[in-house]
Amino acid sequence: MPSSSKPLDRSSPPAPGPIRPFHLPDLHVDVLGNRLRVRSLFRGEVPLVSVAVVLDAGEVRIAEGLEGLAVLTGDSIQGGTEHRTGVELAEDLERLGTELRVSTGWDATTVAFTCVAERVDEVLGLAAEVLRQPSFPDQEVARVRQQRLAAIRQRSQEPDQLADDHLAREVFSAGHPYHRPLAGEEDSVTTLGPRETREFAEGHYQADRAGIVLVGDLGAARVLELAERHFGDWNPGDFKAEAVPRPDWAEARSLLVVDRPGSVQSEIRIGHPAPSRGHPDEIPLRVGNTVLGGAFTSRLNLSLREEHGFTYGVHSRLSFRRSGGLARISTAVQTEVTAAALGEATRVFEAFASEGPTPEELERARDYMAGVFPLRMETTAQLASRVAELLVYQLPDDYHHRYRERIRAVDGERVRVAVREHLRPERASIVVVGDAARVVPEIEALGLGAVRVREP
Amino acid sequence: MLSIDFERHDLENGLTVVLAPDPAVPVIGLNLWYAVGSRNERQGRTGFAHLFEHMMFQGSANVPKGAHFELLERAGGSMNATTWFDRTNYFETVPAHQLDLALWLESDRMGWLLPAMTQEKLDNQRAVVQNEKRQRYDNQPYGDWDERIQAMVFPPEHPYHHTVIGSMEDIAAAGLEDVEEFFRTYYRPNNAVLTLTGDFEPAEALERVDRFFGEIPRGGEVPAVPGRTELDLKMGETQRQEVVADVPLPRAYLAARIPPFTDSGFYTADVIASVLGDGRASRLYRRLVRERRIAKDVVAFAFPLTTGATLMVVWATGFPGAEPAELEDALALEVDGLADVGSEEVERAVARAETGFLREVERLSSRANLLSMHQTIFGDAGHLNGELDRLRSVTPEHVREFAASVLGPSNRAFLTYRPKEDS
Repeated sequence: MPSSSKPLDRSSPPAPGPIRPFHLPDLHVDVLGNRLRVRSLFRGEVPLVSVAVVLDAGEVRIAEGLEGLAVLTGDSIQGGTEHRTGVELAEDLERLGTELRVSTGWDATTVAFTCVAERVDEVLGLAAEVLRQPSFPDQEVARVRQQRLAAIRQRSQEPDQLADDHLAREVFSAGHPYHRPLAGEEDSVTTLGPRETREFAEGHYQADRAGIVLVGDLGAARVLELAERHFGDWNPGDFKAEAVPRPDWAEARSLLVVDRPGSVQSEIRIGHPAPSRGHPDEIPLRVGNTVLGGAFTSRLNLSLREEHGFTYGVHSRLSFRRSGGLARISTAVQTEVTAAALGEATRVFEAFASEGPTPEELERARDYMAGVFPLRMETTAQLASRVAELLVYQLPDDYHHRYRERIRAVDGERVRVAVREHLRPERASIVVVGDAARVVPEIEALGLGAVRVREP
Repeated sequence: MLSIDFERHDLENGLTVVLAPDPAVPVIGLNLWYAVGSRNERQGRTGFAHLFEHMMFQGSANVPKGAHFELLERAGGSMNATTWFDRTNYFETVPAHQLDLALWLESDRMGWLLPAMTQEKLDNQRAVVQNEKRQRYDNQPYGDWDERIQAMVFPPEHPYHHTVIGSMEDIAAAGLEDVEEFFRTYYRPNNAVLTLTGDFEPAEALERVDRFFGEIPRGGEVPAVPGRTELDLKMGETQRQEVVADVPLPRAYLAARIPPFTDSGFYTADVIASVLGDGRASRLYRRLVRERRIAKDVVAFAFPLTTGATLMVVWATGFPGAEPAELEDALALEVDGLADVGSEEVERAVARAETGFLREVERLSSRANLLSMHQTIFGDAGHLNGELDRLRSVTPEHVREFAASVLGPSNRAFLTYRPKEDS
C-alpha cells in the first residue's frame, strides 16, 4: 500500500471534484387506439423491469355513503379472475418470482410489480387479467372487507395514525372527501360487497382512465408491443373528467386534544390545506418546506431534536393532491414536554412563514434537493413510480427532466412570496393525541386558543 | 444471474476495503460496517451500542456539531446508520464528485471522535434515544414483543437475551467514560469494513481511502463477546407467555431458536420462512387468512445473526374477538404441516428470493451494505455472490428434516397478546 506523499489537511471539508453529469433516460410517450397512455424509460444495468398501471379510480371518485369503495375494490381484485382462483393467481405470480402491489390513494389506484426482465410478458398477462377480468368472488370480497375493518380498528389505536385521522377531520370540512380517512370508516365499509366492487371496477377500470409505465431492460418498440398485446383491446370507456372541489380554509386556529390516558408520548400535528400538485408555486413551496421541516437540518428538527431533545424527529410535509392537499407538521414528543414542544414548533412555524429562508438556508436547500434527485431515481421501481406521477397529476412529460433546473432557478423572493401565501400558522388546526389530564393545562397556558378535548 | 465484481484491500492499520465499481450513474455508495452491536454490551449498559451510534453524528475533532448532516445534505447526499445485534453500519450515498467529503467525515469520526465529546451532547442524545424508544416501542401496540421473545428464546447469559434499544435505566446511566471506553475498544480500523459501490476508478479510490484512513492507528484485539455465546440449538421445551395489553387486535407469535446465519441450515430456515409467511400463496396466508379467516395478516422471517444461534419468528394478527389460543394452535399446526412440503412451494420461495436479491443489489447503498456484511462475517465479500445458489440448493427434504428436528414442540416459544377490552 503506497502511502501518500503530502500530509492531509483535515481541518476543513475537502473540495468536491469535477461534477459528473447525470442524465435521466429519455421518456418514450405513446398512446394506444383505445386511448391507453403508454410511458417508458430504458434502464439496462440490472435485468429487472418495473411496471405501474395507474387508473383514475381513487377515493375522490367515491360517492357519499360508499367511502372506502375504491380501496376495497383495489384490495379485492386479486381475489380471483374469470380464469383463475385467487390461490391460483398468487401461485402463478410467485412462481414467476413476483407479486402485484395494488395501492389506492385519493387520486388513483395503482397496480405495480417488479420482475426479472425475461418474465415480464407472462407477468403482464396476469396483471392485465386482474385489471380487466376480476371476478370478485363473494367469499373473497367478504374476507378482504373483514381485513379492512380490522385494519380500521387497528388504526384507531395506533397513536400516529389516530393523530393523522383527527387532523384530517379538523382541517377539511365535513362533506369534503379529505375529511374522512382514505379507506373509509366502519359504517360505510360494512355496507360494501361484491356488487359494489364489481360496479366500481366496471365503471373505472378502463383504458381511457388508465396509463401504463414500463421501466427497465426493454426498448420502446418492445414496450409498445407488450402494451398492445395485453391492453390493446381493453374497453376504452367514456371518461369525462369530474372536478373535485378545492378544500376550504378554517377561519382561525383550532386546538384539539384527543385523550389517550397513560400515553408516554404525545403525537403532535399542525396542519392546513395546501395547493394542488402542479400549482405554479409548487417548486418554491417545496424549497421552503425543506428549510422548515423537510431535511434533517431543517429549522424544526434542529430545534426540537438536536437542541431540545424533545423528540426522535420532526417533519413538515406537503401532500399535493390533484385538487388541493395538506400541509402538515408532525412529531411525537415525551409527555412531560408536550406544551413546550408545541409552543416551540408553533414559534418556528410562525417565524418561517413570515420571514422565509435566509440566503444561506435557501442555497443549502436548493443544493440538497437538486443533489439528492439522482439518488431517488436509482431503481426501476422508483423510476416507474415517478413516471406514474406524471400521468396521475397530469404533469408535463419533461417534469422530472427539468426538475433540477427549476429548483436551482428559485430565488429567495419567490420562496418568501410562496411561503407567505400558502403557509398560514394562524389558520392551522392543531391536534395532540396524548394523556389529556397531563397535557391540557400547559397547552392552555400557551395562549394559542381554547383547547377542546375528545375521546378517541 | 448477476454477479458483483469487486476487489479487496487491507490497509496497514487493518481496515478492510471492498471496492465494487459501477459507472451506471454518477453516484457512490459508502458503507462502513463496524463489527460491534448490542451483543457487545456489558451488563447495566444495554442500549449503549445504539446510543453510541447517535454520538457518532455529534461531531469530531474537525467536524463541528451538526456539520455532518449539513455538509452531506448540501452536497446532495443522504446518510444514516443503524445498530443491530452483531454490527453497527454507517452509510452515505453521495454524488460521485463528493466522495472525498464522505471519506473525510467517516475518517474523522473513526480517528478523532473523542476530542469533540461533551456531557451536553451526551445528555441531548440520551434524551433523543429515550424518545426514540418511547415512539417506536413503549407507545406502540405490541411494542415489547421482541423484548419478550428474545428473553424467552435466549438465556440471560446470552447476548441476544436483551434488545438493541436497551432499557431506559441503562440509557440514562451511560456516561462519557462509557463513550470513551467503547470507542477505544470497538471503533478501530481493524474492527471495520469499508465498502464503496458506484462510479469511481478503483486504484484512485483506494488511494483516497488510504489518504483519509491510513493514519488512524490500529487498535488492540477486540475482546470476546461478553456472556455465554455457546448454547444448545434447541430450547428444550415449549414456553408460553400471555400478555393482556392495550392492543387493538389479538396476536400470536411462535418463535424458535435456529442455527446461526453462518450455518448452512440457515438457508433452509430462510426458505421455510418464505413458504410459511411470504406472499399470498404462502401457507399461513392461504390457510389462516384466506381459508379459515381467523387472521388479518401473517408474517414470518429468520434473523441473519451469527452468535451461537439465531431466531425464527412467525406471527398472526387475529380478527377482533379471536381467541389468542386459537391463533397459537393454528401457527403450530402450519409449522407441523411442513412435513408434507412440496417442491413447487420451495421453487416459488427461490423464485421470489431471486427477484428480491436483484432488487436489493440494484441499489448502490444496499449493495455496499451486503458486501460489507459478507466481508465481515465470512471474511469474503464474494460470499454474497453465492447466496442464490445456497438457497437453490435447499430441497423439500431439507425443509421436512429441518421442520421435524428444529421446529418441533421442544423448541417453541409462544407469545400472545389479548386486547384489554376483551379480557
